[in-house]
Amino acid sequence: MSFFDRTARAFLLTELVQGLALTLRYMFKPAVTINYPYEKGPLSPRFRGEHALRRYANGEERCIACKLCEAICPAQAITIEPEPRPDGSRRARRYDLDMTKCIYCGLCQEACPVDAIVEGPNFEYATETRAELMYNKAKLLANGDRWEAELAFRIAADAPYR
Amino acid sequence: MVDLLAGLLPPFLWRLIVIVVQIVAIVLPLLIAVAYLTYAERKVIGAMQLRKGPNVVGPLGLLQPMADGLKLFVKETVLPTSANRVVFVGAPMLTFFLALVAWAVIPFDKGWVLADINVGILYLFAISSLGVYGIIMAGWASNSKYAFLGGLRSAAQMVSYEVSIGFILISVLLCVGSLNLSDVVLAQKKMWFFIPHLPIFVLFVISGLAETNRAPFDLPEAEAELVAGYNVEYSAMTFALFFLGEYANMLMMGAMTSILFLGGWLPPFDIAPFNLVPGILWFILKICLVMFVFLWVRATFPRYRYDQLMRLGWKVFLPFSLFWLVLTASVLTAFGWLPNQG
Amino acid sequence: MPKLTIDGREIEVEAGTTIIQAADQLGIEIPRFCYHERLAIAGNCRMCLVEVEKMPKPVASCAMPVGEGMVVKTNTPVIKKARQNVMEFLLVNHPLDCPICDQGGECDLQDQAMAYGSDRSRCQEGKRAVPDKDYGPLVQTWMTRCIQCTRCVRFISEIAGTPVLGGLGRGEHMEITRYVNSAISSELSGNLIDLCPVGALTNKPASYTYRSWELKKTESIDAMDALGASIRIDTRGNEVIRVLPRINEDVNEEWLSDRSRFAIDGLKRQRLDRPYVRRDGKLQPASWAEAFAAIAAKVKSAGSKIAAIAGDQADAEAMVALKDLVESLGSTSLDCRQDGAALDPKVRASYLFNSTAAGIEQADALLLIGTNPRKEAPVLNARIRKRWQKGGFKVARIGHKSDLTYKYEHLGDQASILKDIADGKHPFFEVLKAAAKPALIIGQGALSREDGAVLLGLARKLADATGMVVEGWNGFNVLQTAAARVGGLDLGFVPGAGGKDTAGIVAGAAKGEIEVVFLLGADEIDMSGLGKAFVVYQGSHGDAGAHRADVVLPGAAYTEKSATFVNLEGRAQQTRLAAFPPGEAKEDWRVVRALSEALGKPLPYDSLKSVRERLVKANPVFAAIGEVKAAAWGSFGTEGAVTDKALVSHIDNFYMTDPISRASKTMAECTAAFGGGCGCNHKKTGTHG
Repeated sequence: MSFFDRTARAFLLTELVQGLALTLRYMFKPAVTINYPYEKGPLSPRFRGEHALRRYANGEERCIACKLCEAICPAQAITIEPEPRPDGSRRARRYDLDMTKCIYCGLCQEACPVDAIVEGPNFEYATETRAELMYNKAKLLANGDRWEAELAFRIAADAPYR
Repeated sequence: MVDLLAGLLPPFLWRLIVIVVQIVAIVLPLLIAVAYLTYAERKVIGAMQLRKGPNVVGPLGLLQPMADGLKLFVKETVLPTSANRVVFVGAPMLTFFLALVAWAVIPFDKGWVLADINVGILYLFAISSLGVYGIIMAGWASNSKYAFLGGLRSAAQMVSYEVSIGFILISVLLCVGSLNLSDVVLAQKKMWFFIPHLPIFVLFVISGLAETNRAPFDLPEAEAELVAGYNVEYSAMTFALFFLGEYANMLMMGAMTSILFLGGWLPPFDIAPFNLVPGILWFILKICLVMFVFLWVRATFPRYRYDQLMRLGWKVFLPFSLFWLVLTASVLTAFGWLPNQG
Repeated sequence: MPKLTIDGREIEVEAGTTIIQAADQLGIEIPRFCYHERLAIAGNCRMCLVEVEKMPKPVASCAMPVGEGMVVKTNTPVIKKARQNVMEFLLVNHPLDCPICDQGGECDLQDQAMAYGSDRSRCQEGKRAVPDKDYGPLVQTWMTRCIQCTRCVRFISEIAGTPVLGGLGRGEHMEITRYVNSAISSELSGNLIDLCPVGALTNKPASYTYRSWELKKTESIDAMDALGASIRIDTRGNEVIRVLPRINEDVNEEWLSDRSRFAIDGLKRQRLDRPYVRRDGKLQPASWAEAFAAIAAKVKSAGSKIAAIAGDQADAEAMVALKDLVESLGSTSLDCRQDGAALDPKVRASYLFNSTAAGIEQADALLLIGTNPRKEAPVLNARIRKRWQKGGFKVARIGHKSDLTYKYEHLGDQASILKDIADGKHPFFEVLKAAAKPALIIGQGALSREDGAVLLGLARKLADATGMVVEGWNGFNVLQTAAARVGGLDLGFVPGAGGKDTAGIVAGAAKGEIEVVFLLGADEIDMSGLGKAFVVYQGSHGDAGAHRADVVLPGAAYTEKSATFVNLEGRAQQTRLAAFPPGEAKEDWRVVRALSEALGKPLPYDSLKSVRERLVKANPVFAAIGEVKAAAWGSFGTEGAVTDKALVSHIDNFYMTDPISRASKTMAECTAAFGGGCGCNHKKTGTHG
């Protein structure tokens, strides 16, 4: 009996028809995608986007050139040159981040003892040349200034889970 | 006015002008249809995958095909250094040419046909068989292993499915008694052939998918394994010609399905509101329906494995279409339903 | 010999051994901060607590001598808890600034907090802060980080012998500070940085420029003085960041002098990075081919009227290549003694530190002649001090009176006193005679005088007369100051038959008898005396030689090549390439080899291996890398009258003795801060020449 059943199903293409019915049903469902440049989906406070170097409230840059992010970076995208500043504090003379190497794993912000390097919510920073993706300290600090309100909010929002 | 012009010009020149105008009248809407078939494909598959599809260029993305066309037109045509240049450039031209030339015998409405020859079906069959040469030439001339494999697959596939398509055509022709396509349509006045011939109608649509290298039989292109098959080395206009040729062939297959099984320009019911609609609209509607099925199938089924494709062609379709041919002939003879008797 | 059990393993150790030493012998790890093998035991960090059976409380293993039948446990729950609590106390006031601390990554406190500490503190109070002290231009202080282990105090007073540090206050208020408001003027102060288990004392010149994990470590040999200390060169990229001592019990134990450690910034300054040729009275950049062509043109016309002088940091490979080249050109005027020291190349024992550096610890009477070992070889001086601290060690000195960190009898500064002692007329002769292992150290200050050969002869006579040279003991020591010197003498970079020595070459050049002079890193000769001679200078730095030169060939410094140096004991040692030479500079022997091709006398070696084979052929000493073989005693020195000039040390300014340290900013700062070093008064800086 099962033989006939199977044969009948095969000849009547039931499986194919079922599949076609499914896709036809889906055709009339509303699209789940959003109209990206005009609509945007929600981002988690942990979203790892473009990097930024933050400052303290008094305007002093947070980064102390401890090189922990450089050491932990699995893609070796970070290059730091530390220097003693005239006031005796340790700061980065150079903080270069190769965004083309970066794999956005977030280990740098995990390693940072002063919450200086963070991966912010910005993911819309496509450029026309590769050279523009070689971020230096000035660019990263500018990012930090631009996104500070958001960055501070994200860190505060994620703090209870750390 | 027209008569005046006809009087001024020598008759042969006049005939030529008329033919050229007719050709343009067929080819231009055809190319636009091809463009919007790609748009429809993206929209339909998008909808089935819960996406929006193109919606940025123009209202509802309607200008997307134009943008794509413009893009392909202005891009650089790359000629691989190791390619055979003449064959390499000739292959897409041949494909495109063959895709258009087939439309010469398609009746769009009663009497609306460029060349109403009495071997129309044979002509169509011959032209679609030639289509494989464009692909084989492209695959060989590219001098690339992917293109070559794609070309070989495509040739084998098209040859395999043409055999069963041939038997299906014969089954239909037995019921018509003529190779003229207008006659085929008119023979369906009482009943469209897809009702008595439902099994081979399905077979024909599936073979049509295979014949036009569409999913789930798009092995010649197989992005995953052959990157893009025979057209991997093609870019810009040469690629566009392949693309246009392929989609024109799809429309061609839709037109053939309509003519052979869905009654061509005939309305579904020969009663008041239906038979007032011009036949060409019915014809276009039917083509659209078949095209939708093509897209629908692409959105639904995964690609066949190559050996499965061959097994299906030779071990299922061929015996079944042969059996159906014998069955049709037997029934027609037994009940004396053969057309054109005496 | 008491027998004890540590963690179930039995060991028999010498009486007086402490538990921590016994555990170290067994390879059982006991954490410690204040305990250090070479320093006195303080027992104040309490990190090394262990449980001993039948004792009521855990004991500090570093301060507890072993007893017969002791059963020690180092891994019980009590000890684990004790370590955790000690660590918690240590961290109560230790700042959490590891990210900016130069010690981060190689910090004992960091490592042990990870291994033995708890992951949280119960201390909510604010941390104490301690003002930083000014320890001079070499040592940066971060007193807030100090955990009062007092290793620095013990080192500076025990090993360095300049007791200027100490602890003030009690309990939480204890601070390590100086007794008087002066920088640490020890020439071994860099070792404080290594000893400090935390980041309280760090490397000031290299401050904030590196992290320990990103440095490439190359084990090499120091060439800043003749001791040839074992060093580790830490580089990042092609830049030498710091130099650390390696443990080598035979040479430097685990100490390193400040010049060897801190002069490395001189490797980045004043470098010769491309050939230069003098045109129109000015040195102008040239290609190697142009430089060689200029030399070849001159050498062709000069014939055999050429000479070569090797400097103080020339490696043996370059010297043997230059020797072979000059000899193949028909000249025998070669010298590696640019100060004109009366060293006799024929008797090897006459120019070696025969007792060896480690052997000086066995001597029981010592005569210093015209030398200041504290400036000429500070690490060796620390060995002499170590011997002196054990007691029963009489030291006398002929020469300038200065603080050597140990007590000595100052006999005066007249060379005639040496004659008196050698003749047995001086009471110190009897002291030497009575000693079981008497020794003398004669310095370059004595040997480079006009009567140097006479003084050398007197010293030999004294050695013979007092039984300094017996089976198994040779107390006759020459304290070399140049890393190249012994190597040059060993391979025969000295005037051959009819050849001129340094003084002769300079005089010959002035008179026109010498037309071409090769200077292989020689900067200490009288450049103005070279007359019209065509001078080819090959070296690493733009110093005196390069200024006088007509053609400059850029060479590699000791950190930039694999080269052989023979230290003052006669120990052949090899450096390793830690960084590449700058610009177009090349290893020196390769330059000489290329030059020989241009001069039409190609040298028969093309690889480092074959040059070293050539070296071994010149003297088998070069085959025994790292070993010292006793040199045969012989007759050397001359007899004659001694002049009555005062005997002084060869080195005025400890911080600037060679092109590298003269180019060093750090060493200039030290000179400004400490003068010539070692508490001596100095009128001029730099060496003679």
